[in-house]
Amino acid sequence: MEPDLRPESIDEFERELQQAFHRRPAPPGLKGKIMARRRPQPTRALAPLWMRLAASIVIVALIGGGVALRNREEERKGEAARQQVFTALRLTNRALNHVNQQLASHNRTQDSQN
Amino acid sequence: MLMAPDRQPKFAWHPDFERLVDEHQSMVFSLALRMTGDRGLAEEIAQDVFLELDNNLGRLESAEHACFWLRRVAMSRSADALRRRKVRGLDLWVEMEDVHGLNPEERSTPLGSRLEELLATLPEPQRAALILRYQEDLSPEEIAAALEAPLATVKSQLQRGLKLLRSKAATHLKEYVRGA
Repeated sequence: MEPDLRPESIDEFERELQQAFHRRPAPPGLKGKIMARRRPQPTRALAPLWMRLAASIVIVALIGGGVALRNREEERKGEAARQQVFTALRLTNRALNHVNQQLASHNRTQDSQN
Repeated sequence: MLMAPDRQPKFAWHPDFERLVDEHQSMVFSLALRMTGDRGLAEEIAQDVFLELDNNLGRLESAEHACFWLRRVAMSRSADALRRRKVRGLDLWVEMEDVHGLNPEERSTPLGSRLEELLATLPEPQRAALILRYQEDLSPEEIAAALEAPLATVKSQLQRGLKLLRSKAATHLKEYVRGA
């Protein structure tokens, strides 16, 4: 048979139990001990997810932009160096042509004298 | 009302740990005290339960959920402590009254003290069910949820525990001979 635990069925004995089993007050120092043992709380809360996400995107964009800028600068320097080499080759070519012309002129003069 | 935490609607609840300690320390301490009968052990259990609560605050959805959680964990940790100590409740109750002592305002009436002593002699499952029934005024369904036990088992423990306690009271307390 199941116990009849409806309020109206509670007899004198059960009422006595309810009175006897009231909550006891906690020891005076209990709360203090709990708070002392509690793990240290973080000094500041983490920023919301969207702020952390936005900060991550900005950081990635800055790093990516820096890398792209550096690559472009290196390409520019490479192009300038190539142009300098071409200029040097052109100057050298021009000097050699000049020497060839002088040699040819000198040879012609000797042939006419002979 | 039975608080089934998993079925509660989710809503914003910002728990204040210190306030929860203020509100529930008496309940947690009393449950542990009546389960173990040892004031020192009950205080340790209460501390551990609240520290565990601190680590689980994010999972709790409401004040009622926190209360339900505290009851369940307090009973579970008390049972664990009893199993570790492997001592009988009556011995512990004698220790509590004789060694630790109580403040005058904490003392029960002589009859109440005797009933608590008799409660401590009951088997642990019956004691747990009766404590939740008569200290916390819970229904059998709520007790079953708190103890994570089948409802039929809880009803049986309540019935047998009450019968045994009534019988012991009839034997030991003149006041209840006629009520038994």
